[in-house]
Amino acid sequence: MTITTPITREVIQQLRVGDKITICGPIYTGRDAVLPKLVALKESGGGEDIPLEGSVVFHTAVSPAGVGPTSSNKLEIESSIGPLSKLGVRIHLGKGKLSEETVRLLDQNDSIYAVIPPVTALLESQIRSRRVVAYPEEGMEALHELQVEGFTAIVAAAHGESIYK
Amino acid sequence: MSTVELVKQTLVKAGTSFSEGKIRAYQRAIAEEENEHSKWVLESILENAIVADKNHSPLCDDSGIPHLFLEIGGNRTLSAELIADIEEGVRQGLKEMPGRPMGILGDDKQRLDQSAGLDPRSEGVEPSPLLIKRVEGDVLRLHIIMQGGGPAIRGITYRVFHRHSLQTVIDEIVARASEGVAQLGCTPCTVAIGIGRSQFEAASLMMEAQVYGDYDRQSDLEEEITRRINETDVGPLGLHGKHSVLATFMKVGPQRASGVRIVSIRPCCCFEPRIASVDL
Repeated sequence: MTITTPITREVIQQLRVGDKITICGPIYTGRDAVLPKLVALKESGGGEDIPLEGSVVFHTAVSPAGVGPTSSNKLEIESSIGPLSKLGVRIHLGKGKLSEETVRLLDQNDSIYAVIPPVTALLESQIRSRRVVAYPEEGMEALHELQVEGFTAIVAAAHGESIYK
Repeated sequence: MSTVELVKQTLVKAGTSFSEGKIRAYQRAIAEEENEHSKWVLESILENAIVADKNHSPLCDDSGIPHLFLEIGGNRTLSAELIADIEEGVRQGLKEMPGRPMGILGDDKQRLDQSAGLDPRSEGVEPSPLLIKRVEGDVLRLHIIMQGGGPAIRGITYRVFHRHSLQTVIDEIVARASEGVAQLGCTPCTVAIGIGRSQFEAASLMMEAQVYGDYDRQSDLEEEITRRINETDVGPLGLHGKHSVLATFMKVGPQRASGVRIVSIRPCCCFEPRIASVDL
């Protein structure tokens, strides 16, 4: 199934654990350093120029070495998944097993988690552009926006179910 | 060719290509895998390696921290000048690849909480201390191993009370490694294990296991560990299937006259060990 951002809740309702999806359009990137900051910013009413409704957050750095999923179960990343889902992020893209609590929070907020192979050399050919959106002082960990065409992933947690069970 | 240039080229090779043995291991796994998604993951990882090798671009965006293992034998000598050349070759290799700029700036406190930010240069990543092993023959051979962050999170060095039973040690390794493999995300793993008398020795042996490990020749203990972890059905990228682990590389060193063994385990990710070697 090909999914273009922004993503509606109706699209999320159609997806099941184990589905292969192909993502096109602008997506955000963030990891340990920046995701807690983004949550705090949005929860305090800031970040009007960073629309999250229908968005995808890819857990990766962006550097001259390329992009690739980091472990989504690192403390600062996994703890951001619930709040960001509540703020409108519909797909969290990364790798690694999530806790039952995080799977429950995803379900509560009509969001899903998908895993993407760490194939940096292949992903590079599917990125049309990249720009820093916020927190440039974080370097490779800054909040970036990527224009992607054909990122392929597997749905790993959706509607309270997890592929890791 | 100068030492600096040889080291530079070796680092780039370590971070951008698979060994022939690893390619064969993936081909075997793809042929055996029955889970459709898992087979796709294995094929994607192998295709990624072919493209990365062709473009001389990183296998993974976490291009890794350079770890250096030097074999020296016969009448060869190691000078401070040679070590300086090796370090310069590492810097130039990181710049050329390019490596991910993930050197942390600042004093001790700032490096711990990352409050002084990151060095924007790829070559700002310092290599690990040099590990040296005396070997037979007139040789001075450098192995460069690029170590990523995910396996570092899931790796562990700990003590096992063996109760004078080999099976106790192996059972503990399988249990601990299975836990790490399940959490890693970037499976299939190659499990690197060192067993020694201290934390330093076990970790050094774990590094040595990555240098000498062979995908085509596994000991009976290595085969047992691989088989038992694969029975956990984690599979590639955690999607289930036959291949949570491609192989186990284990090195057992001298042991202490005691009831304890010190074991170091690193669940190397689907690209690791990222290693290349050069005779200097």
